[in-house]
Amino acid sequence: MDPLRQDEFDSQACGSIAPKAKPCPRPKPGEAAGGCSFDGAQITLLPIMDAAHLVHGPIACAGNSWESRGALSSGPSLSQYGFATDLTDSDIIFGGEKKLKDSIDYIAGRFAPPAIFVYSTCVTALIGEDMDAVCKEAADRIGIPVIPVNSPGFVGSKNLGNRLAGDALLQYVIGTGEPEPETDLGVNLIGEYNIAGEMWDIEKLMNSAGIAVTSRITGDARYKEITWAHRARVNMVVCSRALLGLAKEMEARYGIPYFEGSFYGAKETTYSLRQMAYLMNDREMERRVDRLTEREEARLSQELRPYRKLLRGKRAVLYTGGVKSWSVISALKELGVQVVGVGTNKSTEDDVRRIADRVGDDTEYIPEGGASRMIKTVRERKADIMIAGGRNMYVAMKEQIPFIDINQERHKAYAGYEGLLRLAKELTYSLTNPIWKLAASPAPWDKEAPPYDR
Amino acid sequence: MSMDELNIKDNTSLFKEERYVQQRENKKPFEAPCSEQETAEALAYSKSAEYMEKNFSRQNVVINPHKACQPLGSVMAALGFEKTLPFVHGSQGCNAYFRSHLSRHFKEPTPSVSTSMTEDAAVFGGMNNLIDGLENSVALYKPEMVAICTTCMAEVIGDDLNSFIGNARIKGVISEEYPVAYCNTPSFVGSHITGYDAMIKGILSYLYTRSGTRGKPGSGAESGEKLNVMLGFEPYTGNFAELRKILGAFDTKYTILGDHSGNYDSPATGEYEYYYGGTKLADVPQAANALATLSLQKYTLKKTQEYISGTWNQQLAALSTPLGIKGTDTLLDTISELTGLPIPAILTEERGRVVDALMDSHPYLHGKRVALVGDPDLLIGLIGFCLETGMEPVHIVCSNGDVDYNEVKFKDEAEALLAASPYGSEATVHVGKDLWHMRSLLLNDQVDLAIGSSHLKFAAKDAEVPLVRVGFPIFDRHHMHRYPIIGYQGTLNLLSLIVNTILQQLDDHNSGFNFELVR
Ligand code: SF4
Repeated sequence: MDPLRQDEFDSQACGSIAPKAKPCPRPKPGEAAGGCSFDGAQITLLPIMDAAHLVHGPIACAGNSWESRGALSSGPSLSQYGFATDLTDSDIIFGGEKKLKDSIDYIAGRFAPPAIFVYSTCVTALIGEDMDAVCKEAADRIGIPVIPVNSPGFVGSKNLGNRLAGDALLQYVIGTGEPEPETDLGVNLIGEYNIAGEMWDIEKLMNSAGIAVTSRITGDARYKEITWAHRARVNMVVCSRALLGLAKEMEARYGIPYFEGSFYGAKETTYSLRQMAYLMNDREMERRVDRLTEREEARLSQELRPYRKLLRGKRAVLYTGGVKSWSVISALKELGVQVVGVGTNKSTEDDVRRIADRVGDDTEYIPEGGASRMIKTVRERKADIMIAGGRNMYVAMKEQIPFIDINQERHKAYAGYEGLLRLAKELTYSLTNPIWKLAASPAPWDKEAPPYDR
Repeated sequence: MSMDELNIKDNTSLFKEERYVQQRENKKPFEAPCSEQETAEALAYSKSAEYMEKNFSRQNVVINPHKACQPLGSVMAALGFEKTLPFVHGSQGCNAYFRSHLSRHFKEPTPSVSTSMTEDAAVFGGMNNLIDGLENSVALYKPEMVAICTTCMAEVIGDDLNSFIGNARIKGVISEEYPVAYCNTPSFVGSHITGYDAMIKGILSYLYTRSGTRGKPGSGAESGEKLNVMLGFEPYTGNFAELRKILGAFDTKYTILGDHSGNYDSPATGEYEYYYGGTKLADVPQAANALATLSLQKYTLKKTQEYISGTWNQQLAALSTPLGIKGTDTLLDTISELTGLPIPAILTEERGRVVDALMDSHPYLHGKRVALVGDPDLLIGLIGFCLETGMEPVHIVCSNGDVDYNEVKFKDEAEALLAASPYGSEATVHVGKDLWHMRSLLLNDQVDLAIGSSHLKFAAKDAEVPLVRVGFPIFDRHHMHRYPIIGYQGTLNLLSLIVNTILQQLDDHNSGFNFELVR
């Protein structure tokens, strides 16, 4: 496999709680960089649906971001609310702690959440707000957990923010509660955010094999269930390397074995279910998993047949964060789609290794973001489709490249066996839509327009 | 293709299936254990006048804000100029938010870069980031001008853009002549509209000053320019087209100062080019020679207006978003006055057609109680439109209405407008309030219709009021921004949107005897 770049080595530290080397790779000034650590922390914790999430800072961070994610809830919606202290210039000068305290009180009084997460932002970190103290004092006074999340935007990338959110969970949440006596203990799903309802598909699968979910960290989670995460028998780290540190720490503290897995693609799904049963050390469960996965895989391969015919030999460029960069490759491979270019910008050394295991030699690694870089790869590698996140979607459209949204705003659930079927369907639809031909043909009176060539 | 036999459901229908419903039921024990009765009581309480009072006395927390921050407006302003790269000085997250936010509204890419400041920049200042950033972005994106705005972080540590840019030149990262405009836009003051204003003023004054020429207002005939037009923080690309149509009908020469419609309405040619359209940089110093400037968002463009009538010494006409018949009449009158040209017959004819349409629909509009949310200039336009159709504005929330300007205030103007019509007698104007306040208003005092951005949909749903999406941002509907809402044509579009929402409601809620064919 290709030698790793230095920053890929560095970024490996991102997976651990106490990074030894530099943490996540630093963004480069003058580029259209991705989200900040604040964003990363929020994304990780917002799926705790019944909690209140209060942003301590000026309007920037909350005003531009509230309720724009695709993590679905099956019940409470408090997490959808945009709470902000909306600091103004006088708060910057005289401090916003009073405002923060009042905000917490108001939220507790009006919304009675089981917990309040309070996020620092660049400004509150810079002016030296003692958020921890305010939160602690408030928690004591109002009798519900008030959890400071110290992840201001300037400390680094979104990934670092995911990790800092994990730290907050470890420090303030996990281990503070106990499950009801009759609760069936099983697996924590770490780093699964229930985008487009994927969590529900996964949970259903697990349940049919008799595996219980102990805590969802954090897709469609309730605050309470995270407090007893330390009672789980197994941790599965799903598609978010930034929370790997959380699993490692839980292994150290509570002796819970963990594994990294994914639900993208039938093979990965089967592997993940098997791994759960194996780590639970339960023969009967293993047998059940085998029966289930065999049955599901057989059914799936039947149902995938018409799509496979169409998708075989198609070429894709994949540009997505972290673990999805390799797990989605497996899913695509099962459909016969070849990944000819893959983004490694946000991948760890481990991720890159896994990518290498899954792609052919002539796959191009795209280390840096930027639309033009990706488009270039699509052109050079004669790719048929681009699979990336929302910010790149409209560039793809301009370039008339079929596109599938794979990131957090996506509206389709791709996890598990049914998810693979949906992915196949979306790929087919995206590739075969008549609009591409129409877009590619010049107006009949315009002979000059360039021919469609890819 | 027989794909559909597989019948894969989307998540709306999928999760209504029995097994998912069951799954959700199973989760109930984890949720805050509220009984149905408690929930009902809480809902009832949230509709009570008592809670509304509490909600309105809330001081220190914003719940569901209806404003974005200054630099977001600056990015949009920068995209209004030819081959100009918006450059956000601060930590990286803000810029990512601006790009997604604008892209989600326009469904177009937003080129914009950040200096990605980190902790060391917080300690030592962001100069190195700014200089490196300039070097990298100019090499990567080859803009003809860079337009820098700050975020709160850069402001808090007190970065001095002017001297940093100077140092970048001294270091040879950019040449002495390379144009770099800038403005200061901390997000702890103002909102997206003040940020828009700051950047437009920054660019106009920068390009004018560096050109070395001195404007002679009214000498525009020589240069072929007669009128400058500014649309402001304009979420509708269709409004640019409509305005061009109107000015074209007048047959006047004009320059649009800050035209981001190109960037947000570019064709799919198969090649993405980063920069589309925009006001030509060379046109800006020329604009100082124009006869006059027409501003279509007077609350948004306060500082720019001051600059133009002050430094350029130019005649200035400042309107709010020209929609509705009267609003458009004023627009045409103003153009006619500023240019000395008569109002074209073709527009008079169009006016007649739209008046006709309004008459056709008026029975369905008369007496409809509406709630409005938006930026100040848009609200003035919308209030005017509602009043002239017999709709009754009831709740008006403007998060970013003037707070610290002492001239004409949005609230005063809105209230005067409302007071002048019997249909405005029930309205209250709430400046500086958020969408949670609006929710209280909607629950407490029912209306028939809510008009505002997508963000209003949560409150509207809670109150079971249909929402007509107008303004910024509109994330959850497609192509709304491509249709103008200004001018007579825009008024017609708005009318269709509103009246058909009302008719749809009638159909949805009436089975039996009221389910009619002809309306
Ligand atoms: S970079 Fe800082 S100011 Fe910007 S969104 Fe992130 S936390 Fe907020």
